[in-house]
Amino acid sequence: MVHDNQLEKSNKFLRIRSVHGRNISVVREVYRRENVPCQSPLCLSDCQNSTGDGGLSLLPADVNHYLIPDCQVAREFLEVLENPVVTGIIFLQTVVHSVQHEGSKRLYNRLRNLVKDKRKASIIFHNEFQKYAYCEREEGETLCDWQTRSTYAAAEWYFHHLATQKPIIMVTLNKQAIEKYENKTLNVFVLSLEEYLRKFWQSHIPEVMELYESLTASLETKVKEKDYKGYLPLDILESGVKSGRFVQGHINVNRNNAGQEAFVRQKRSGSTVEDDRDILIHGMPARNRAVHGDLVVVEVLPRSEWRGRSSVIKESQEGQGEGDEEDGATDENVMPTGRVVGILQRNWREYVASFASNEQVSEKGGKVLVIPWDYRIPKIRISTRQVEKLKDQRIVVRIDSWEIDSQYPNGHFVKTLGPIEDLEAEISAILLENTIHVSAFSEAQMKELPVDTPDNPWCIEEAELNKRRDLRSSHLIFSIDPKGCEDVDDTLSVRELANGNLELGVHIADVTHFVKPDSLTDMEAKSRSTTVYLADRRYDMLPGILSANLCSLISGVDRYAMSVIWELDKNFEVVDVLYGKTIIRSSYKLFYEMAQAMHDGISLTEIVKNVPELQNMLEEETEKRVEELRCAVTLLMRVARCLKARRVSGGALELESVEVQVQLTETKSVEDLNPKDHLEIHDTIAECMIFANHWVAKKIVEVFPNQALLRHHPLPKSEQFENLKNCAKSKGFDVKTSSNKALAETLDRCVDSKDPVINKILRMLATQAMSVASYFSTGSLPRDQYFHYGLALDYYTHFTSPIRRYADVLVHRQLMAAVLAEGSEGLPGNQELDELSEHINHQHRAAQNAQRDSQELFQYLYFKQKDLNNECCRADAIIFQIRANGLMVFVPRYGIRAPVYLRNKDGQVLYVQESGQSEWTGGSITKSEGSVSVNSLVGSMTLTLLDHITVKIIPNSSRAHASSLKLELISTEGYALDQDIPTTEKMSKNQKQAIIQEVRAVAEEKRTQSSSEDQGHQFHSLKAEFGQTPESESLYSLFESFKEMAKKPIS
Amino acid sequence: MAGLELLSDQGFRIDGRRSHELRKIQCKLGVFSQADGSAYVEQGNTKVLAAVYGPHEIRGSRSKLLQDKVLVNCQYSMATFSTSERKRRPRGDRKSQEMTMHLQQTFNAAILTSLHPRSQIDIFVEVLQSDGGNYCASVNAATLAVIDAGIPMKDYVCACSASYLGDSPIVDINYLEESSGSPEITVAVLPKSEQIVFLEMNGRLHEDNLSKVVDMAVKGCKDVYGVLDRTVREHVSQVGSSLET
Repeated sequence: MVHDNQLEKSNKFLRIRSVHGRNISVVREVYRRENVPCQSPLCLSDCQNSTGDGGLSLLPADVNHYLIPDCQVAREFLEVLENPVVTGIIFLQTVVHSVQHEGSKRLYNRLRNLVKDKRKASIIFHNEFQKYAYCEREEGETLCDWQTRSTYAAAEWYFHHLATQKPIIMVTLNKQAIEKYENKTLNVFVLSLEEYLRKFWQSHIPEVMELYESLTASLETKVKEKDYKGYLPLDILESGVKSGRFVQGHINVNRNNAGQEAFVRQKRSGSTVEDDRDILIHGMPARNRAVHGDLVVVEVLPRSEWRGRSSVIKESQEGQGEGDEEDGATDENVMPTGRVVGILQRNWREYVASFASNEQVSEKGGKVLVIPWDYRIPKIRISTRQVEKLKDQRIVVRIDSWEIDSQYPNGHFVKTLGPIEDLEAEISAILLENTIHVSAFSEAQMKELPVDTPDNPWCIEEAELNKRRDLRSSHLIFSIDPKGCEDVDDTLSVRELANGNLELGVHIADVTHFVKPDSLTDMEAKSRSTTVYLADRRYDMLPGILSANLCSLISGVDRYAMSVIWELDKNFEVVDVLYGKTIIRSSYKLFYEMAQAMHDGISLTEIVKNVPELQNMLEEETEKRVEELRCAVTLLMRVARCLKARRVSGGALELESVEVQVQLTETKSVEDLNPKDHLEIHDTIAECMIFANHWVAKKIVEVFPNQALLRHHPLPKSEQFENLKNCAKSKGFDVKTSSNKALAETLDRCVDSKDPVINKILRMLATQAMSVASYFSTGSLPRDQYFHYGLALDYYTHFTSPIRRYADVLVHRQLMAAVLAEGSEGLPGNQELDELSEHINHQHRAAQNAQRDSQELFQYLYFKQKDLNNECCRADAIIFQIRANGLMVFVPRYGIRAPVYLRNKDGQVLYVQESGQSEWTGGSITKSEGSVSVNSLVGSMTLTLLDHITVKIIPNSSRAHASSLKLELISTEGYALDQDIPTTEKMSKNQKQAIIQEVRAVAEEKRTQSSSEDQGHQFHSLKAEFGQTPESESLYSLFESFKEMAKKPIS
Repeated sequence: MAGLELLSDQGFRIDGRRSHELRKIQCKLGVFSQADGSAYVEQGNTKVLAAVYGPHEIRGSRSKLLQDKVLVNCQYSMATFSTSERKRRPRGDRKSQEMTMHLQQTFNAAILTSLHPRSQIDIFVEVLQSDGGNYCASVNAATLAVIDAGIPMKDYVCACSASYLGDSPIVDINYLEESSGSPEITVAVLPKSEQIVFLEMNGRLHEDNLSKVVDMAVKGCKDVYGVLDRTVREHVSQVGSSLET
């Protein structure tokens, strides 16, 4: 109570938010006094200023003024004040509080460090504890006004306290404050920061002005970047969507420009905007905390604010996008632009992420930003104590929330996948990112399945024998598949009937016999929807016992099948068709090359050598059988040829490359692993399958017009063909895209005899332009959209691969119900089927993406271990698209499609000299129709579409995202053009296989190395101490064996 | 509220006091006429009323009767409006019961209990506003009330709290300092003899610093004593002068 009489008590009323989120009012006392130390050596009154080494900074006596920044200046321009030349700053308590509460903790710490630094000779003055410097906040006064007023009051007090020895300058950003206080007291100046800096410091330290300007600039953008708005209430959103004021849809972030562009596809077309174009969401504030995939409600902005999408291939910070979006739109080409006003449903999932490479290990339990693997997802803030441990790992995180005042969403760490660039970790990252779940089949599922062990072999049931047609003795059935194929789901038979007609049979594995609707296996298969083929492995849809054994139509064993058997007349017109369950026994399991060779007429011994079923037989018998088989194959090919020709002419559809291409991608990895030339027999098999699918589709749609599962391929959009047309034009070809027939015919004509790759590329571009084929339920689409554009069929479905596609399983059930006229009971209704097909489509896409990602991963890993100067890192590439800052090229040797940049981030352009030297210099790029010319300081070059160029393949490693390959232009000439193309093609496939094998070998090696390294030399001593005693010496095992013996009955 | 600077580099606490300074204490004796003794104490924003009845016959169950000394019966309660969020139970919760017990122990030690055997003294304490140091204010108020009631005591009982921030002890901590997680030591002493009648500590404090903090608190108690004594004298002189006229 020493100073009791000097203290003056008052109360401060605050309203604060309690932990529970309630607003409570709090009263705090404040004691004021007269003797708050002023920390100035000029002080004439007896302020007890602490001096000396341990004490606080003192204001300098030798400056010409003291500086008092106001709250806003201290918050936003602390960096300017941190300049070592600026000394004698008085930070008022009011200002410090404002920095602490309205600024950030980091800023506050910076301020404290500044004050601690004695060289800066700056102090904190507790003006709110000074009886006369303090001014009470008046009723109705805004916080900001009060802060300015108390700052000025303190400045005045200080001036008088030092007996007007030192002028005081108060700097502020508030213009009104300047006006109000400017001329109030002599020698207490109120200046704007800019003016102050200009007047006092610009001559000594010019950089301070620059700093000020850059801070101002960044502040302006920051304000723009950060202002997320609150969401509108749900009822307003709903009514807005209904009235057409808002648009609802899933938000889709542009992978190549994730920070800026996102699109919302309109669900209902043409209510507010005249056409059904996507709505552009430009910038993060407009996206308003929506994450890729969320169901959002968008308000379309007035037309004056519409903008176009950028056509630049963005080279993102961590790596580069692949840039496969369509071009053609430029900045002038505006599109509807909107902003997100509400989110109906968050579609957050688990994301694979990793720490930035330079992430500092902050104090324990700190918040860390992680970069998701997917470019489209913003950085996520998680709190973890294991930064050190997880630094080089791929981790899984989940988003929890995204607060309105937070630039990034908050999330939490879920689990780790393994070290970055480890093969297994990367593969699990790919699977997780594509939401593919590949856990092992559960025990309960396995229990449902029939067993087939040597002790207890599976055999066909008597009851089934009566229900099914037995084709075992009457038909010669065989399968033709890629070499080494395990899951044979289709077999064929063909024979001549007594009346001279032909009988063609397609027999598909009867998966539905084993997989009953709503059984556990069925559920599992439904959720997986498809077998996933990655570059080096596959994840089956059905358990191995079914897919590789009981459902697989292996030769020499009895199997259940679903058959479609046609009777064809002499002209191969269908006379009759029969669908039904059968029992078959395949006689031969052939592979493509063998079947083709058989047709081409190779020798008997050669055949016998390659077909195991023909071995160990009498010679005559063999001869007879081979002849029989050869006849069947030849006949089959004849039938198929005719069917195809009919499909081509009758339906106008020689788009052979398209559907085969699609089929190729669906089963690609198998084909990749088994490189082969394209043979006629491939077409034959494909044709038979298409034929079967088509007829099945016909049947189910006839019986169940409202709930049949079909597959359709919609018309492509004409603008998608722009690029194809441009390319073709540059070589003088004309591609007509009016109909599928015209397209097919003109594509056939686009053959450059010197350069066969051209045709391939044009077909690739055509495929790229196509819409994606998808499953649908007939009840939910109008009839005129059932057709399949690529195959030119009116109805099409998938029926022939039930082992690896769930859609086929559904079709099998529908077909069976149709044939037996059971009615639609037990089958999924239209609504359910619609949802199912949506799910299957999604899974198919995911599987394809995963497959592509895994192939890219393997390519990357392959090139990573190669020396950059290695021969195989240079390759021939063909330009197929020209973009604003680069080219999109195709490398036939490795099947890589990637961008080549002509302009780098600094705006320099690339020029390649004759000698093969390339350099980046200043210059310009002019893009004209079909060609691009680079004018640099050194020289100029022109590149045209479909030109061959040579590129260097550089692995572009990326910590956070999928690693990719980067191409660099090294010559405008083609590379090794003398190589004949078929070998290149073959090479490409061999190459892929080689890549996969090599990468796997290296990964294996690394694993073994690391495991032995882990334990190191201590292993033996550790083992001696902690390892188990060998069984022979262990007393424990001896006693255990006694125990076992005691249990045995005495014989 | 993280990051509040409880003690600034210049040695100012969050409410503008220095570390050795008490809050402002205002007190008044004889606020009620019905009770035998009463007092009102304000210690900063902590406001407490105390009323004393007795000594009188044992009320209620006679089993509590003590043959050789007086029964000191205390009741501590907090008004529902005493905190920033309305309190549900004014008395009877665990904290109040504990407080009641502590008061009882303290005054058992201070009152000359053997003077009034087989009787009872009631001390009722009501916290009207709470801003830290509830116990101290209650003890101080009760002391004044007991004095007002004319019950003989060994000495005034003065209580004061202290804490340890950074590396210096601070005295008479308020609610904000109390809830910051720093240790809290509450001491009640008989100032003349410097006898400690009550000592309690919450939180963790290194043994080396204990004596510093306790010394600080005891010094605080003595300062409190000064204020209380002055008040009593003023009150007595007032009462005396009013009797004379």
